[in-house]
Amino acid sequence: MQKKIRLIINILFLCQVVIILYSGICIAEVGGDCNSCHALYPGLTEKPSLVKPFTYVNREIFCINCHSHNTSDTIKTIGGNKVPVVFSNVKPVYPLAGGNFYYVARDFSDRKGHNVNGITSRDSKFTGFPPGYSRTLDPSMRGYNPGKPLACAGSNGCHGNRNIEDSFEAIYGTHHAVDKPLDGSTTARSYRYLKNTDRVKGVTGLEDSEWNWNGTSSRHNEYSPSLDVFCESCHGDFHNKDKAGKNGAWFRHPTGIPLPDKGEYAAYNIYNLDAPVSREVLPQKPGDVVVAGKDTVTCLSCHMAHSSPYANVLRWDYDDIFTGEEGKGGCLICHTGK
Amino acid sequence: MSYRKIAKSQELRAKRKRSCAFFIENIIQVLVIIRPDRIIQFLFRMLSGLDSPIKSGNDKNKNTGSFSRFLRSYGILIFALCYMLFASVVDARVKGKCKDCHSMHYSNEGKEMTYGNRQGPFPALTQGGCIGCHGQNPNGTKSIITNGKTRIPQILHHLQNDNLAGGNFYYVADEYNPDYSKGHNIKGISRQENPPMDVPPAFMKNVLIPGGTGPAYWPGQQQLTCAGTWGCHGNRTIEDPGSSIHGAHHADDSIIDGSTVGKSYRFLYGIKGKEHSDWEYMASINNHNGYRGNIDHVAIDTISYLCGECHGKFHPNPNLGGITEVGHAYNSVWHRHPSDISFNTVHGGFANSEYEGYIQYSLDTPVAFEKPTGGEDSVNADSIIMCLSCHRSHASRYTNILRWDYANMTAQDNKARTGCITCHTKKGHE
Repeated sequence: MQKKIRLIINILFLCQVVIILYSGICIAEVGGDCNSCHALYPGLTEKPSLVKPFTYVNREIFCINCHSHNTSDTIKTIGGNKVPVVFSNVKPVYPLAGGNFYYVARDFSDRKGHNVNGITSRDSKFTGFPPGYSRTLDPSMRGYNPGKPLACAGSNGCHGNRNIEDSFEAIYGTHHAVDKPLDGSTTARSYRYLKNTDRVKGVTGLEDSEWNWNGTSSRHNEYSPSLDVFCESCHGDFHNKDKAGKNGAWFRHPTGIPLPDKGEYAAYNIYNLDAPVSREVLPQKPGDVVVAGKDTVTCLSCHMAHSSPYANVLRWDYDDIFTGEEGKGGCLICHTGK
Repeated sequence: MSYRKIAKSQELRAKRKRSCAFFIENIIQVLVIIRPDRIIQFLFRMLSGLDSPIKSGNDKNKNTGSFSRFLRSYGILIFALCYMLFASVVDARVKGKCKDCHSMHYSNEGKEMTYGNRQGPFPALTQGGCIGCHGQNPNGTKSIITNGKTRIPQILHHLQNDNLAGGNFYYVADEYNPDYSKGHNIKGISRQENPPMDVPPAFMKNVLIPGGTGPAYWPGQQQLTCAGTWGCHGNRTIEDPGSSIHGAHHADDSIIDGSTVGKSYRFLYGIKGKEHSDWEYMASINNHNGYRGNIDHVAIDTISYLCGECHGKFHPNPNLGGITEVGHAYNSVWHRHPSDISFNTVHGGFANSEYEGYIQYSLDTPVAFEKPTGGEDSVNADSIIMCLSCHRSHASRYTNILRWDYANMTAQDNKARTGCITCHTKKGHE
């Protein structure tokens, strides 16, 4: 009898452990006190005035208020929820996978990041469409509006539904929606809420529970080639194979193609956070091995999504990458022979 | 310590390890090449001397031993320094910043990039393709431009008297009062010539070329390119110019054996030779390009065979024009001026022939050698006549891409022995 009780207790204990672990990795829906998020920022839970309804000039502020921080920590806790910080007011120690808008906001360098409305002013040179923009490759109904600034979400942004112009409405409800499985079927079930429109599948991937904070070669986000297709929405010419050279030598650096399994590329074997690859078939858990001929080059192999310390939102200083000399970082992580 | 500092210190340690490994790895190669037996013996003596105890106890011997140890240590130091200098000479791969030559997305500051009047995008993510790097300032007067740590030979510039070995496309470039008879009409520099010069003169179909077979025919609308099937450089079995030369600039080219494009003379796939480090800028009679020739006509790795790949009927190799088009190889009368033959095999023999008069190597009328070193300062019976003895490869200031003005070559009126008379010495006498 005692043995049976012990067995049952052990099974229950194991179930508990599994549930705890599982919840830690997979459940990203926001829970906890409403006040933690909604009362913090004036306007969100206040009753609208009958005389004069609320008008929000810059709805990006709502995103930024939650996802920014005054210290160098890049994960903060609000109401028991871990919140990724994408904009730090001081230099971040461990920028998250997408990078940190600190570099485009504080360094006043347009080239170091996406000039998101509410964080920094509009790019002094890119006043119109994003570089390489191709309307035919943008699946949104509205398309990019060059008269308006880049936004966190919505038709001029990356996150949420790009058929909706207002960035806040574009992502409305997503934080409270069921976000598993991450199959791209809804905005919430898309990798980092990246889903162009209802009509196209969202980005898929494996989301690191700490957004690559202090990540390692075995603990990190896993990307899929759908991410490149997503970047193509605004920077289409850089991904379009017709314009990148498909029959001969590349005209533009390719993405969405397997890392060649011969020559210099075959020497890139261990996953490097400075030059991540995407997986044609997403693994069950993050892997530390790069398989040339199978894993693919992605936009994020070289670039950060939000902002980085380097020009062109690169993961490294392109000015410091030399060929034929010592050094193995940056471009040379893949181009090992150079 | 921040993660960046940790990473940096790890990187430094790794760098030191790599430097050490690089040194050891390369010094072994050098030891193998340069009389390994003697050098190993030499090093062994020095190293064993460092550790050996002083046999005698008297002061005189102590001093001698100390001095000899100093000498040995000094010897090792000198050897290491020599190696470092030597290593920097043999490694001729492109060095420097990626950004000096490449543009990742053919985009800069949100706009597409053009180079000169050329619009891209350009192959291999280069800034302006071949001409973007090798003809970056047509109005300039530099035949070698240094970009970062890389010295780039210029094939299109406006320096009248200091053209590099291949010549200067300036004379045929559309923007600079061109004369199409003076050079190859390369796409991007010149328009295509009118028929019949839209096809290489003396073209032969399906000839044997390194790596495969040449084109079955040359379409009239097909313009000459720098590289690829319709060009000279790179692997000519690959049509796309960029693909045909892909990776060559980054390959280890310390040994030119023709095995790869990178290891071929001037990236002319399959061709051997000795490359002058400055492309013959300020070359001298004992420091110049070393061209490979072969008088047996069994090799396809000579510089003249490369020319024959397109101008087949002008070469006596049986794979190309052979006896039918050029004439009997030895001791006969030629139909066309031969190449890849030595002075030793001319009609009537070398002894007492006019060719005996060509003694000192001439940069204006170079000759090839079976095993060129680039240091040959004299010409003898075994020196080999080649296409480049008379012609430049790219373009020259003279008609037919000649090295001299053929219209001014007059028999019995050229005591200076220039042009044709450099070899045909007796024809210059009155």
